[in-house]
Amino acid sequence: MFKYQFRWDTVWGSFDFLMGGLEMTLIISAITLVLAMAGGLIIALLDMSRFRALRWIGVSIGEVVRNTPILVQLLWVYYVLPIVFGVRIEGLVALIIGLALYQAAFISEVYRSGIQSVPKGHREAAQVLGLTPFQAFRRIVLPQAIRMTLPPLASNFVQLIKFSSLGAVISVSEITRRGMELSATNFRPLETFTFIAVVYFFICWPLAMAIRFWERRLQAR
Amino acid sequence: MSGTPFLLADSVTKRFGTNQVLTRVSLPVMERDVVCIVGPSGSGKTTLLRCFALLEAPSEGRIVMQGVPIATADPDRQVKNAARAVRSDIGMVFQHFNLWPHMSVLENLTEAPMLVKKMPKDEAVAIAEGLLKKVDLADKRDAYPARLSGGQQQRVAIARALAMSPKVLLFDEATSALDPELRREVLLVMRQLAQEGMTMLVVTHEMGFARHVGTRTVFMDRGEIVEEAPGAAFFDAPKTERAKRFLQQFEEE
Ligand SMILES: Nc1ncnc2c1ncn2[C@@H]1O[C@H](COP(=O)(O)OP(=O)(O)OP(=O)(O)O)[C@@H](O)[C@H]1O
Ligand SMILES: [Mg+2]
Repeated sequence: MFKYQFRWDTVWGSFDFLMGGLEMTLIISAITLVLAMAGGLIIALLDMSRFRALRWIGVSIGEVVRNTPILVQLLWVYYVLPIVFGVRIEGLVALIIGLALYQAAFISEVYRSGIQSVPKGHREAAQVLGLTPFQAFRRIVLPQAIRMTLPPLASNFVQLIKFSSLGAVISVSEITRRGMELSATNFRPLETFTFIAVVYFFICWPLAMAIRFWERRLQAR
Repeated sequence: MSGTPFLLADSVTKRFGTNQVLTRVSLPVMERDVVCIVGPSGSGKTTLLRCFALLEAPSEGRIVMQGVPIATADPDRQVKNAARAVRSDIGMVFQHFNLWPHMSVLENLTEAPMLVKKMPKDEAVAIAEGLLKKVDLADKRDAYPARLSGGQQQRVAIARALAMSPKVLLFDEATSALDPELRREVLLVMRQLAQEGMTMLVVTHEMGFARHVGTRTVFMDRGEIVEEAPGAAFFDAPKTERAKRFLQQFEEE
């Protein structure tokens, strides 16, 4: 360690290769967030359904997803789903499906607490004025709930950027995977993974700070 | 008092689980009546008002408007249709205002007329501006509720209720959440409405308002109407022990 000769040039030499991976990471995260937002809505609707069977499905998905490791879920989607359905799934598809399902379970809770953050009295005021329950939900509850859910959704995006690195184990060519490939050829894991960690940090940290600021402003209202 | 009551609680009983909150409460409200409901905490005043507002369904008994039942324990299609038809004829003002914080004052006032009555926007705005002038808040039309004092918010809430041109207004302790110095401005608006002939049902701890503005005072205790008297008579000569004890608290203050 003392006499270690840093060879950052091995990293700069593959800068474009790694940045291509970063692009992949961000695209995966964005697509997954959109899918997870839709999936979260479905789970939330299942949870709140009038029918017991549907509620049971919604709750079960949530419990299973929240109480098993994300890595195991990804491996399961990647290796087990193809066996069950008899189709080959690409690593990228498996990663997006797995991550989206995982985040959807958490996002459904975000929606639920967003809706619950709107005082009952706001809806009752609407009801007394003659708005239908649907109108009250659309015009009074939803706009306020959305405002409350935006920061947590942004936090989910940050989480996805980090979790998408798990794609490396199912050969998805995002930035972490490319780092692994690079270090296997340049034999410079220290420089390579330090650089990658720094890249993650300087993307996630400012986002997280901005979100914290945003949340504090919402709470102050 | 003669003829069909404008609004009537007909032997209304309300239970939450096993907790019986109202016991066979009958209360007729005639047109232009200003009925003030007073009573100790937990006596069921809010619950009764919420039954009138169709926010709670009675466990037994009925709410009747101009002879037509609009709420029963087990409403059939006819009752539900009647309720829908008169929904916006019954306005309510809440203790905690319940303004919609994501809408400006003006939008709070135009929302229901535009959605429920399908009123064109310029008409709704014109009405809203008139009402804001009436509650002395014309200059706040574009402000958001969070920017207003409690007294101002409650006056906006009253204007919002008026925007649907209700035939009766229910007030649930409209001034209780306000600092004493802000209560007057709200009470003045309520008094003005009473003088204009609005039918009102007012749950209040403001004994002065009940005595001087109310046409009738109803005293509730433990889910029952214990005593009922026109205007000031209740305060000058309470008949029951319970009412006397209740009124004593206010003399001591
Ligand atoms: N939604 C509800 N579920 C269960 N119990 C309720 C509910 N609403 C009211 N109660 C109970 O009904 C009783 C009467 O409550 P209510 O709010 O009508 O009294 P109140 O006369 O308005 O009292 P206050 O002067 O404190 O406002 C109380 O014991 C209360 O706990
Ligand atoms: Mg009350």
